[in-house]
Amino acid sequence: MRANLLQLVRYSIVKAIMLGIALVIALYLTILIVNMGGRLDEVRKAEISFAVSQAVLADPGNAGVPPSELKKQIDARTEIEFRRLGLDKPFLIRSFNYLTTAMSLSLGRAEQLVSDSGSRLVRLIILERLPATLVLFGTANLLIFFTTLWAGLALSRHYGSWVDRLVVTLAPTSAAPGWFYGIFLILIFAAALGVLPWGGMVDAPPPTTTLGYAASVLRHMILPTLAMFLSAFFSSVYARRTFFLIYASEDYVDLAKAKGLPSRTIQNRYILRPTLPTIITSFLLMIIAMWMGAIILETVFNWPGLGRLYMQAVNINDTPTIVGVMVIYGYLLAISVFLLEFIYAIVDPRVRIGAGAKKGV
Amino acid sequence: MNQIRATDQINTSSSRQGSPDQGSDTLLDVRNLCLHFRTSRGVLQAVDDVSFSMQRRRSIAIIGESGCGKTSLARAILRLLPRNVHTYKGEVYLDGTDVMTLSDEWFRQKVRWTKVSMVSQAAMNALNPVLKVGTQVAEPLIVHERMTKRDALARAREVFRIVGVPEDFLHRYAFELSGGMRQRAILAMALVTNPALVILDEPTSALDMLTQANIFNALKDIKNQLEVGFILITHDISTSSDLADEVIVMYAGQLVEHSLSTTAYRAPLHPYARGLMSSVPTLREDKKLEFIPGQPPSLINPPSGCRFAVRCSRRFERCDQEPPTFTVGEHGELVKCWLHAKE
Repeated sequence: MRANLLQLVRYSIVKAIMLGIALVIALYLTILIVNMGGRLDEVRKAEISFAVSQAVLADPGNAGVPPSELKKQIDARTEIEFRRLGLDKPFLIRSFNYLTTAMSLSLGRAEQLVSDSGSRLVRLIILERLPATLVLFGTANLLIFFTTLWAGLALSRHYGSWVDRLVVTLAPTSAAPGWFYGIFLILIFAAALGVLPWGGMVDAPPPTTTLGYAASVLRHMILPTLAMFLSAFFSSVYARRTFFLIYASEDYVDLAKAKGLPSRTIQNRYILRPTLPTIITSFLLMIIAMWMGAIILETVFNWPGLGRLYMQAVNINDTPTIVGVMVIYGYLLAISVFLLEFIYAIVDPRVRIGAGAKKGV
Repeated sequence: MNQIRATDQINTSSSRQGSPDQGSDTLLDVRNLCLHFRTSRGVLQAVDDVSFSMQRRRSIAIIGESGCGKTSLARAILRLLPRNVHTYKGEVYLDGTDVMTLSDEWFRQKVRWTKVSMVSQAAMNALNPVLKVGTQVAEPLIVHERMTKRDALARAREVFRIVGVPEDFLHRYAFELSGGMRQRAILAMALVTNPALVILDEPTSALDMLTQANIFNALKDIKNQLEVGFILITHDISTSSDLADEVIVMYAGQLVEHSLSTTAYRAPLHPYARGLMSSVPTLREDKKLEFIPGQPPSLINPPSGCRFAVRCSRRFERCDQEPPTFTVGEHGELVKCWLHAKE
């Protein structure tokens, strides 16, 4: 027992180190790419010297100062500005500075973006957007995940029925992304019928009571949720149903039936239990996807989430913000994978015993 | 074992009409059982009008080539049907009750594993990978006999001893067991509720020769110890001869011969059975192995008349008509061949 625990601790430490290394490499690559391998520095340097010279030239106190003097002044101020932003050091060193701030989650300050509360701290900007993304994508994804799981299981038991054939026929409708359905939903429910809001997260001005605020958010969530649901539902049900059909034809399911077990027991113990690792994997992948939101869907519905923040940051080359979003995502991904290893071991004895002890069986 | 006892007789008491007498020694009486499947090319007659009966504690081997309907016959008796069933009819009297008339729920409660259990083909995959072996073996007791988990596991332990599985394997998972041990665990599962009939569908086909012999020895011991009848479905004729009291030979979905194993293995009656037996190598005799030319007919629109006629070296004019089943010999052997017609 004690030896097993020791082994488990060693196993998890090794796992954590491996994930940490992967995370560092991924983040460093992200930093390199976002900075265009240092090329972005030239752009920013040019921007800064342009802005400084404009400011110096436009300064009324500098009227009558000879151009050579002005040039000296511009150079000095540019130099100060470079040093303030750390641009005087070579990119290689700065890239590691980026990496340490990223890994330590301090995330630094945004260059141009500002949070709604007026802060330049990337952490605050992200934290401000994260709840909006989570409430929308969490609701939609959980809804999609559990309804498709249930529907797939039910359909696998009614293989060949008309509902089954209908779902198979409708599966290609998921080829269109959520925002595509979103546009039509807005046209129907906001433009034509006028019963639901066009977009945004809450009425303007926001309701003052908590309950009213929640109700308003809920009303704004209906269309984007429905759009995501429509684009995912049929193909997910189709995939789940096929998945369960394959597992329902295993020999042990057949034998369980011959044993005269009630169909509920067969479903829970002989179909769901053995497939749990796969189901949990897809659940975690869904959670990971949820952290990022969706760029176009949030834009179509004017939803103040992480996806739109990311888009804004990319448009204005706000490197710290882009890196910050990626760092958060990378950490969440690594933690999810780490958790997954343990959940696997709990639900699947093949993993648990295989990894735990290497006895000569 | 192959000594003929005075009571050795093919069980034809029911004489194929009327209901079998209650309380007789007849365990299973199958009459005109048909199982046809829908396929894209037409209706496939996997089991076509099969009738046979067996007594308690007997073991019957069902032999025949691949695709002759052996497994389908077993599945028809167990009501384990695939989705594409076209016709499923006939009578299956088990202990005097026609189980074909029971609803699915009654069949589950009153027949499955309480009266008939099975050891399935390809047993490597027949155990749930994420449940402990003991749980799976004890499960039918908890479901059917409302035992507590503790009592059920105690009983499972007992059966493990009978089939020769170490008791601590109760707490292991299927992947920790060798193929032979898994097969024994499944055998234990089949015996745990004391069913009157166990259907073994190719129980050893995926195992090596030594393990096969081990399993068959275990089966023989069980047969001597317990009140259980076996239906052994196999294409391994030589090993089945060790266990079987009677032999049923199937060809193209039909029963062509049902005789005592002494007859079937030494002097089979049906020309097909004869061909089958002479294709089996034996260790000591210097025998020229024979084979049957041609292929079995398709079970979709099979030929009228005797289905074996095209491959049969002894066919004559009457073989154009389908032969009835004749009762011949001192033990009441059944054979579906015109050669045995009583003139």
